[in-house]
Amino acid sequence: MKKAIAWGCLIPTRRSLLGYEASTRKVLDHLNVETIDIPNETCCAPFWMQSLDLTTSIAMAARNLAKAEEMGLDLITPCSGCFHAYKRVNHVLEHYPDLRERIDDILQRVGLHYEGKVESSHLLEFLYKEIGIDELQRNSTRDLSSISIGLRYGCHMLKPHELLNIEYSERPTFADELLEPFGINSVEYAGRHRCCGGLLRGVQDDLADDILHERLVDVNEAGVDGIVTVCSLCHLQHDMGQRGIKRKYGMNNLDLPVVHFPQLIALGFGYSPEELGLDMHTVKTDKLVAKIMGGGRR
Amino acid sequence: MEQTDKPKTYRRDLPIRDDEVDNSFKYEIANQVGGEGLLHCLKCGACSGGCPVSSVTDYRPRKVLGHVLLGLKDEVLASESIWMCAACFTCEERCVQQVNFTDVVTVLRNMASREGNAAPGYIKMAEAVMQNGRVTTRTSVVDKMREKLGLPPIQDPDIEQLGKIMQAGGLIKVIESNTKKEVETE
Repeated sequence: MKKAIAWGCLIPTRRSLLGYEASTRKVLDHLNVETIDIPNETCCAPFWMQSLDLTTSIAMAARNLAKAEEMGLDLITPCSGCFHAYKRVNHVLEHYPDLRERIDDILQRVGLHYEGKVESSHLLEFLYKEIGIDELQRNSTRDLSSISIGLRYGCHMLKPHELLNIEYSERPTFADELLEPFGINSVEYAGRHRCCGGLLRGVQDDLADDILHERLVDVNEAGVDGIVTVCSLCHLQHDMGQRGIKRKYGMNNLDLPVVHFPQLIALGFGYSPEELGLDMHTVKTDKLVAKIMGGGRR
Repeated sequence: MEQTDKPKTYRRDLPIRDDEVDNSFKYEIANQVGGEGLLHCLKCGACSGGCPVSSVTDYRPRKVLGHVLLGLKDEVLASESIWMCAACFTCEERCVQQVNFTDVVTVLRNMASREGNAAPGYIKMAEAVMQNGRVTTRTSVVDKMREKLGLPPIQDPDIEQLGKIMQAGGLIKVIESNTKKEVETE
């Protein structure tokens, strides 16, 4: 199987997100999925950019899709923001002929054309729909049942479900199902599906702090070994933002590692924590990793 | 007994007079991409109920919708509240009338941005994209870490192509009208 892959802005350039890229590459490679990076990928112009100008943003996102279309490949992305933006492009092209004409015109000026044929999937959606849980089960070599985690679906992978078409977002289960083959205990807790305030970072920082504080209080009370994220912004908020929240709100007992979803899958496949970048996160992942490695091989 | 905790807006501030409202505002929104659902709003408040920003501030999506439907155009477009949405799409997901509030906010923000009233944070990020092709910059520290992890070198974004798209679409004009305003107010 061959797919184009878009990494987004943050994943390849931020220290704590490098593990997301490394583990995604490992997992897809392990499952014999060949991936081609979008050549010279540019910003996908997600929601915040759409705020400034929707038309230009759609054209900017269509640029990367046009590149995938040139290669004749469908697209995978691990970034929820990119996923949301790319889904919106196809939706707009299909439903708004006037805007489509305008996008065609803009792209034509840089010698591109996007017909609208590229199907974009979130990495998790791809694993669930095209790889399947059985296949993950077959590749599972390490028992991860010693840990319990708080799994965050984030917002932009699921909402609105009419557009993104994975699962209704109020009580989603598909990502939990993906962790089942490895025996991971995913804990249901209050606030698990609520926004982390990531898109307000850099714009309304105090507000972003207040929202993140609520989320961290919620997950801290759930008594888990760590948080698992599927979105670049969720990760930056919970991992890089955690120390700031600890200080600002006096949450002295807060010390929760935040790992990327495919890092767990790759661990389950038998990869070592070092090759998955687990030592690059802001909050140390040592305790969680030690607990997993103590679990032994299957 | 004296009332110590008086509400901020009391009767003397009401009602809003006819000459303060623009009756066509809601239709202006409803005619733009993403704004179609606005006229279906029942003002039931499901949007405010699920809003993560509403749980930490007095921002309420229903209030914004109320102001828009009433026609308080200038007030809404100059207000900070339209820039407080965290874009989590929970209201959109829960709305029984498919108002798609998050998309309505995009329409409002687009209009405000053209007038130079965009949130400065977003303008800064857009400028970064204009310069680097992505919101972040590439650093040699991260390059070395990538090497250590066995990741391929980062491909530089096609800045030239992206710049042309941003120019042709009109985003650069929007950025300029906001940075110009910033200089003026300084």
